[in-house]
Amino acid sequence: MEQEIQIDQALTNIQRLVDNIETVIKGKRTQIQFILTALLAKGHILMEDNPGTGKTVMAKTLAQSIAGRTQDGGVNFKRIQFTPDLLPMDLIGSHIFDDVKKEFIFKKGPLFCNVLLADEINRASPKVQSALLECMAEHQITMGDSTYKLEQLFFTIATQNPVEMEGTYPLPAAQLDRFFIKIIFGYVDEETELSIYNNYLGIADNLEHIHQVLSMEEILFLQSQTEKVFIHEEIVKAVRNIVWDTRRHPDIVLGASTRSGITFLKCLKAFALVNGRTFVTEDDVQLITPAVLDHRLIFRNRDAKAKGLNAILDKEMDRLGKMKITA
Amino acid sequence: MQIGKVHSWKKVIAQLFLLALPTIALAFYLLWNVNQYYAVLRNEWFVQGWYFAAGIITAIIFYSYRFRFVTTAALLFLLYFIAYKLLGRITVGEFDAFFVSVQFLIFTFLFSTAWIAGYGFSRSRYFTIFWSVFLLAMQIIVVSKMVDITAARLILAFAPVLVYCFYIIYTAELIRNMNEDEQGVAWFITKRLAGFLLLAGLVLLSLLLIFQKDFKAIETDWGGVNGKSNNDKGGKESMTKENRDGSISNKDQTRLTSSLSKDKRLVFVAKLDNYFTDGKTPNPLYFTSTYYTRFDTLTQTFETDDKMPYNDLFAPNPSRIPLYFAKSDSTVIKNTNAPLNRKVVTADVYKVILSPDEFIAPSTAFFCQPIPVENEYKSLYKSAYKAKMWVSDLNSAYFIYNPAGNQQLSDFQQVRFEKLRGAGSYDGLDKKFIDYFTFMPHDAEYNRIRDLALEITKDAKTEVDKMIAIRDYFLGKDEFGQPLFKYSDNPGIPGLPSANKLNYFLFENRKGYCAYYAGATLFLLRALGIPSRIAAGFLTVDRSSKNPGWYWFYADQAHAWVQLYFPGYGWIDFDTTVPDANTQQSPQPDGTPPMNTQKAYLVADGTALTVDTIAKRVTMKVNKVLYHDQNFPATTPPEVLLDVSVATVTKDTGAAKLSDIKKGTNIVAVSYAEIFKDRTPEPTDSFGSILKKIPVPAPIDEIKIMETEQEKKQKSSLASSVSKPVDWVRLLWISLAIIGGFVVVLFSLPWLIWQYLNAKAKTSADPRNKAYNIYNAGMYYLNQLGMPRDNKSPTQYANETDNRFGTSFAGFSNVYQKLKYSKVPLTPAEENLVREFYPGFITAIKARVPFKTRVSRFLNIYNTLHYFTKPKLT
Repeated sequence: MEQEIQIDQALTNIQRLVDNIETVIKGKRTQIQFILTALLAKGHILMEDNPGTGKTVMAKTLAQSIAGRTQDGGVNFKRIQFTPDLLPMDLIGSHIFDDVKKEFIFKKGPLFCNVLLADEINRASPKVQSALLECMAEHQITMGDSTYKLEQLFFTIATQNPVEMEGTYPLPAAQLDRFFIKIIFGYVDEETELSIYNNYLGIADNLEHIHQVLSMEEILFLQSQTEKVFIHEEIVKAVRNIVWDTRRHPDIVLGASTRSGITFLKCLKAFALVNGRTFVTEDDVQLITPAVLDHRLIFRNRDAKAKGLNAILDKEMDRLGKMKITA
Repeated sequence: MQIGKVHSWKKVIAQLFLLALPTIALAFYLLWNVNQYYAVLRNEWFVQGWYFAAGIITAIIFYSYRFRFVTTAALLFLLYFIAYKLLGRITVGEFDAFFVSVQFLIFTFLFSTAWIAGYGFSRSRYFTIFWSVFLLAMQIIVVSKMVDITAARLILAFAPVLVYCFYIIYTAELIRNMNEDEQGVAWFITKRLAGFLLLAGLVLLSLLLIFQKDFKAIETDWGGVNGKSNNDKGGKESMTKENRDGSISNKDQTRLTSSLSKDKRLVFVAKLDNYFTDGKTPNPLYFTSTYYTRFDTLTQTFETDDKMPYNDLFAPNPSRIPLYFAKSDSTVIKNTNAPLNRKVVTADVYKVILSPDEFIAPSTAFFCQPIPVENEYKSLYKSAYKAKMWVSDLNSAYFIYNPAGNQQLSDFQQVRFEKLRGAGSYDGLDKKFIDYFTFMPHDAEYNRIRDLALEITKDAKTEVDKMIAIRDYFLGKDEFGQPLFKYSDNPGIPGLPSANKLNYFLFENRKGYCAYYAGATLFLLRALGIPSRIAAGFLTVDRSSKNPGWYWFYADQAHAWVQLYFPGYGWIDFDTTVPDANTQQSPQPDGTPPMNTQKAYLVADGTALTVDTIAKRVTMKVNKVLYHDQNFPATTPPEVLLDVSVATVTKDTGAAKLSDIKKGTNIVAVSYAEIFKDRTPEPTDSFGSILKKIPVPAPIDEIKIMETEQEKKQKSSLASSVSKPVDWVRLLWISLAIIGGFVVVLFSLPWLIWQYLNAKAKTSADPRNKAYNIYNAGMYYLNQLGMPRDNKSPTQYANETDNRFGTSFAGFSNVYQKLKYSKVPLTPAEENLVREFYPGFITAIKARVPFKTRVSRFLNIYNTLHYFTKPKLT
């Protein structure tokens, strides 16, 4: 069957990638899964937490796992440290005058890559942030008259410090919407933390020597396989219900959009595959909903932010959990 | 200022209709109920119901906005206070102020209760449970006020509250969980309510089944008549009570209530052979059914008392005595202790709608003999008996009133008063007797009556003069020349707190019917140390000059009066009820008296053996024979063949058919045949020789079917259920059993649900259903043991379970998810897992959780509630 997912190969590839990352990042399996989900769903990911929790290391590790230093078939990895004085052209690139040819030529900026690490994205001005918008959504950059296509694989890993911190510009809702998944990175548990302290030299060394495990083709293949994950009618319904409930919930000012719903479905499929399944289950819905939806909603107050989405999810999970098996 | 809403308007409407409306309905019912027991409420249950309704509706609407309870309640009480102060200003006079403030307090209490209930329904999830407990407690208190506890009353008292409690707990939760944005909310609620009604019906049915024995009497009670017992409704009181078969009897208690209902139906007809000393002027006597000797101060009720000293009440059941056979009791004559001016008088009583069981006769009856009714009267008169009484010459229905214009009666009155003045003092009498018949409570209320009695009778020397003084007091006129006391069937009820009804009658209202006059007179007499009691029965009106000695008794002649004890003369009737000024006694057409001319020569009592309806032959086993009025009991009951071709067959309830006689039926055969006339018995005759005088077949003119044992039992059980005195222990047990049953059902619900799910999980065969049922049962079981899934994903939940109980739930959970959400068929190994998983899973959990813990967790109904509760958005 054509539609059949080559599950074994897909799973081996994913497992290789996860194992590779875990040589550096300890105790973050869930976060790794989320990042891969965003990658497989052809989306982008936003990681938020206090400085020093390993966001950047995480991004670099992933990038290097697929972006081998040898450039042979590996992906092209760029990193931008966002600062308040960063300008859009620092990202996109600019026209510079070619002395030889006597004309302006376009000098591509760091956006023209496969994996982009946008570090501390909320420290840049809104102007720069919105410059990211187009390329994240459309996979293209328009500069004057000409439009430049980005690579087929374009994956942004953005990190940001909590909005409350000083020297940050909150991301506009439109841009937040472009990120498929936003995760709170969080601290590792006590035991893992201890093992990190005991072995930090080794870990740093691992980061230095991390090698490419997947080629570009393999990643594109995984992305194409993701589309074939089976999603049950009832799960689609559940997605619809959750999205609708975010709109009618009295404490949510701005609910999820239809695009969010589609993103949701894509993420569900990817997450199922990352978890080694060819079909989406309740587990996927339960685990991924906050990561996918939380940053898209505007709540009335802090209390609602803490409870609102959970209440919606509980309601839908209760329905699914007690639902009979349909043919 | 914008005040946020807690509930959407849809929810508020649902609360109003589904919670408030039934609550208001119940409040009306309970208030109506309570009004019967507490005089302070003044029988204004309807208005009070509206107070409650206003409170609950306002509170529900009010608290659908974001108001805080404490502040708003404080405001409400401030309002109460201001209103109370204002009321104090505008009312004039002490009485008015007191009256108004009592009314206001009632209003405040009801409104506040309703207000709190409204708040609870609107905001608090567990309020309904406290509310139910509160209502049940209230109802228990009200029931404890009941006078005659019967199962029917108990059901009427508890069933609505119990049903309501079930309903309100269920519906409040239902409304809490309703998602008003979803389509078809109304349909959803209708569906759920229908389901609830089914469940409530089942629970009540099972309760009924459990306590079937106690409720059986009521079921038959309800099965018979529907509308007939309505006389008792609406605070109306009747002097008679209506039996199930439509016949009537005197009541065992007479309560003082607001109004008396009467009707004009003919109850019975009697011939009384009592004449004045001239031997031809009929002297009518009141017909006594029973005596009220005790007054229950708590319930304001006059009661009969089997244990009264010197019991002179002869109360046989005429329907149990075979025709022409007699029952007599000479101890009652001895107990009257009245040798002076007494004679034996006979009376024939023909019953129309008077119950066959009822025995009614003037003065001190001691003899009862059922007699047949002549054929032509059988359609009207159902049964009859002859009674003999030990009657005082001084007694008469012309007790005190109306001697005017009739010299003979006037003379009689004088003679009788003179005689009674000469009656000795009470000193020589048994102290027990005096103490019993002069008992009256000691408190301010009754002391007021004592003072009045002394005031009225201050000039009277002898007992009879005191009695006359009391009579004159009731007949007296006020300063405007208007009668001080009036007769009224609807005297109203006292309006002041803790005023007892007699005081209200004597000092305020001065209107009432016979029970009021009799009751008041009783206490006036007892206050003076005169032994007295209330007699209940029928007053006698001499209307017929055509048939001297015959009296007709209609339902509105049911009556109560007092009897005074005079040493040597015994109990003498006195009637102090003032004449009814408004309604003239309508002349009742008296019919022809049912004369009985025939002489019964042979009466045989026994059981029927064979009945031949074609040849008109009956064989009966004769137990005893009455031959020419001589009694011959059988030593060995012989069989006698009867010729019944001309015989009429009757029952207590009227005419019957020959085919009603079955094998074993108890019958009495009577013969008026001339053939017996000359065959008079010799003094030497025995039962055997009498039998030889009877021809074969014996000609029989009349057969009366006696009630079978079964019918008797049924009747007696019915009678006892209606009029048995309050058995508080039994009442307590029944109440506890009802509440206990409710609690048991409630608390066993989680376990029953588990049994159902467990059985489904074990028995289903189809792998899809099986997997679903297993998962469902497993989730329920874990939830009940305190491990709800809540916001865990299935895999997380399964892993947690596995860690805790050492099970392999995760594997099953994965297979289940696969089955549920993928198109990939299960592998044989997975199918096997579905088949084998369940028993081991439950066993493993049971092994880890001690039995005691499991029991206690399964009693936790909130876990169950939590499981079936749909999570809410807000």
